[in-house]
Amino acid sequence: MTKPLQIVILGGGTAGWMAAAGLISLVSPRLCRIRVVESDEIGTVGVGEATLPHLKNFNDTIGLDEAEMVRSTRATFKLGIQFLDWGFQGSRYIHPFGIYGRATSGGGFHQRWLRARAAGRDWDIGDFSYAIVAARNNRFDFPATAKATIASTYSYAYHLDASVYAGELRKLAESRGVVRTEGKVADVVQDNETGVVRSLVLESGEQIDGDFFIDCSGFRSLLLGSKLEVPWEDWSKWLPCDRAFAVPSESANEFTPYTRSTAVEAGWRWRIPLQTRTGNGYVFSTGFTNEQDAADSLLKGLDTPALDDPRLLRFKAGRRVLNWEKNCVALGLASGFLEPLESTSIYLIQIALMHLVPLLPLAGPDPRLADEFNRKINVEYDRIRDFLILHYHLTRRDDAEIWRYCANMDVPDSLKEKMELFGHSAQIEQYRDGLFTLPSWLAVYVGQGLIPTAYSPLADNGSTERLIADLEGLRDEISDRVDEMPSHSRFVERYSQVQQPWKLQPAETQL
Amino acid sequence: MSARVTNVAVLGRDAPLWIAAAAIQRSLGHLGVSVRAIELPSILQPQDVYSAMPAIQGLHKQIGLSENLAIAAARAVPLAAQRYSNWAGASPPWMVGYDDPPPPGSDVDFVHYWARGRQEGLKPAFEDFSLAASAAKHARVPVYQDGSELSAAYGYNLAAVPYTSLLKAHASRLGVNVETAAIENVLIQDGRIGSIVLSSADRVEADLFVDASGTEGALITRLPGSQFEPWDEWLPCDRMVVASGASINPPPLYSQISAFRAGWLGLYPLQDRTAIIAAYNSKHISEAEIIESLPLLARIPIAGEAIVSPLRRGLRSRSWIGNCVAVGEAAIGVDPLESLGLYATHTCVSHLMALFPVERHAFPEAERYNREIALAGQNLRDIQSAHYSLNRRFDEPFWDECRDRTPPESLQRKLEVFSLTAHVPLNDEEPFEEQQWAALLSGAGIVPKRYDPRIDVAPDEALIQKVQQRLRDIAVAVPNMPSADDFLKQSREELEVAK
Repeated sequence: MTKPLQIVILGGGTAGWMAAAGLISLVSPRLCRIRVVESDEIGTVGVGEATLPHLKNFNDTIGLDEAEMVRSTRATFKLGIQFLDWGFQGSRYIHPFGIYGRATSGGGFHQRWLRARAAGRDWDIGDFSYAIVAARNNRFDFPATAKATIASTYSYAYHLDASVYAGELRKLAESRGVVRTEGKVADVVQDNETGVVRSLVLESGEQIDGDFFIDCSGFRSLLLGSKLEVPWEDWSKWLPCDRAFAVPSESANEFTPYTRSTAVEAGWRWRIPLQTRTGNGYVFSTGFTNEQDAADSLLKGLDTPALDDPRLLRFKAGRRVLNWEKNCVALGLASGFLEPLESTSIYLIQIALMHLVPLLPLAGPDPRLADEFNRKINVEYDRIRDFLILHYHLTRRDDAEIWRYCANMDVPDSLKEKMELFGHSAQIEQYRDGLFTLPSWLAVYVGQGLIPTAYSPLADNGSTERLIADLEGLRDEISDRVDEMPSHSRFVERYSQVQQPWKLQPAETQL
Repeated sequence: MSARVTNVAVLGRDAPLWIAAAAIQRSLGHLGVSVRAIELPSILQPQDVYSAMPAIQGLHKQIGLSENLAIAAARAVPLAAQRYSNWAGASPPWMVGYDDPPPPGSDVDFVHYWARGRQEGLKPAFEDFSLAASAAKHARVPVYQDGSELSAAYGYNLAAVPYTSLLKAHASRLGVNVETAAIENVLIQDGRIGSIVLSSADRVEADLFVDASGTEGALITRLPGSQFEPWDEWLPCDRMVVASGASINPPPLYSQISAFRAGWLGLYPLQDRTAIIAAYNSKHISEAEIIESLPLLARIPIAGEAIVSPLRRGLRSRSWIGNCVAVGEAAIGVDPLESLGLYATHTCVSHLMALFPVERHAFPEAERYNREIALAGQNLRDIQSAHYSLNRRFDEPFWDECRDRTPPESLQRKLEVFSLTAHVPLNDEEPFEEQQWAALLSGAGIVPKRYDPRIDVAPDEALIQKVQQRLRDIAVAVPNMPSADDFLKQSREELEVAK
């Protein structure tokens, strides 16, 4: 048996504690030892209050109890993201965490919807997505487990207090043997010849040696960026926003089971309902407004009184060209930044961790492990990048400079082709790796006003009358079934109070 | 939708022609698309075989062809695995079985348990944990069994001539207009096919032309921008020879693929004979020599002639140009290893159907088709190339050269990642799932250095139990499966009833 791999995680926060909790739960202590170096003096960004459905999977995998997590992080549930004024003023659509059509409809549902449209039925495609209809009606329940039923056609995520979530992960990680060391890093010791990182020297003088380092130091990217000087790939020409103000406001009475994103004069505003407060923010570009105007605009747009002063974050869209260099991997903000438009920050940490575990250098270092990791992470980043750019680029808004700029900018070829084919014949590319499947692309295309001029001839099967009747039946079935669901606020109230019986719910063990 | 595609001409020969024509006709014929098939002279020999992996069943469904009819007409025998012998010196033969992938979201792939076991002295080979390979070894057809957690699939070895006749008859029955002709001329206008002039002086005009003519690329090669990227470097056999041998009774449910000094020879069991294909490199063995050595290599009596033909391996850089779409060998040329030939046609036709153009004047679908087909072709090539690269026949110039060549980059990555981690990184458009790849790579001798660390979290006893349970499940499942004879008998009976 070889010696356990000494893994040192630099930085706590969401990324650091997800890494610590994930690794200690997924990898036997016989194989690796995990230390976290963190300073209470350095605040965390507390990135991402809004999450994606994958997070439930992560929590289940590491054994973090869902009911307890929902209580402690004051979480609410999330069926998708509502986009207002994206594409054109007055637009309103939801990007659902679920499919359009029935579980058995396959990938061609939207082709059939287009055929009905060509036959004069100007139906909102959202009426055919269970998750969307539930979200619009402020309803929530766990998905049904019976695969063929309409109430099984979605998944869900959470709105949560990310710093409390990190705290929960810390508790779990420490209880399982992760060692936390308080302190700031004063120096990083590298091997003279190879540049491999050997140890972190803290301000206290303590030296922490490691075989493998995970850089969770946030925007500073102390190891990958500062020490190893991995270049940064800048994407701000496509994603021009470079600042955000965040401010909590009082809780709204009826909280929505979705995040809201509203496109405004120089970027977009988010609204995230938690149990006890509402998270708000304004992501903007200093190319098109200034900080003062942005802060004013954010405060003016709140629907409940602010609880604090707006807090400013500075960033740039892009990523490090390598996320694993020598014996260091970057997670979270140290690895790159994509604005939270599609709630991808925590997902990116999670997926990087899941790619890392099978590639950990447990049998000794090998550059090919890093190559594979970097390739996978780049695919993840690139897919998300294209999807985010789509939101900005697919617009007819003419009322502000930022939208005119985005409508006319030259986008990556990969995205250009996707948009062209969808517009031409409603084709949506499917891929094995990376985030965002067919319904996501469909939601944004159609929601932002790109309606294909034609649909696949294969959708012409069967009579028009039958198609219309089918779709009407589906719409009614969804609407009837959604009417039986509890309201989101009532669901959260019950779920947060009742303890044991919920553990028997089959839905909890489903994913 | 003023300018829809309503006229399709499919030009070509043999199975690819009829598969493409039947698929389009079946999906779109009743929606006002007329399909005209122009049949060029066949290049099939009576000895030929189409060996098809399990995806063939999906293809039959797509074109509405009865499975039992195909089995009867093509004298088909189910195919559950490929068995490789003599590829690695004195190592025992090994199998790649067609196990179904585990359900999504399930446990870490079984190969990791095997890889860990190997490090701790576990004896069984990876194939012993394959339901399909075990079924094949015990002469059982891995039909689906209700309630079983493990499942496997099967394809067929099909006699090429009668199978093609069946496909042709099926296509006409579906409504394809069939004519036999030779090409006099192809008129090109603005990078598109204007019309085909046939030897009968008949002109064929269409909104969309499908080139299913095989390596000749009778249509696609006339268009500007069609280049052929050869794969000779990675698929080193440049000739193949086909022959027929005596039938084996009962017929094995696997193809037997044996390497010899200048290539390999495969035995493909059919109901009434055994088809033989040998692929070889002409620099290392002459035509006369290979024909002479066939009985010795095949180890069964050979009946009739052996026929040699060239093998063209490579990819057409653009297989959809203008209004012309190449399918099958006109787009992707591979060798017969791992039974991927018919699959190449199938995958092209499936992509064409999924991207079927909506408008006859503009085909933005072409770029995506070309990218998908290039990737699919690359994946097929890599499967075959892995066999050549990983051979362990030392001191034979042909095989030494195969080992010495650097594999394609995409394959290199799979080899490295598997060697290091027991994971196989998959691309889009892969014909093999992770476990087929693992079977191929482990069979060819790679023992991964590591396995997924997640399995080590469970106590040792649980791991041992898991491995033993798998062997028990297989031991229980296999005897309940039908033998080849039972399977074929049932198929005949069902066919009778259907009549």
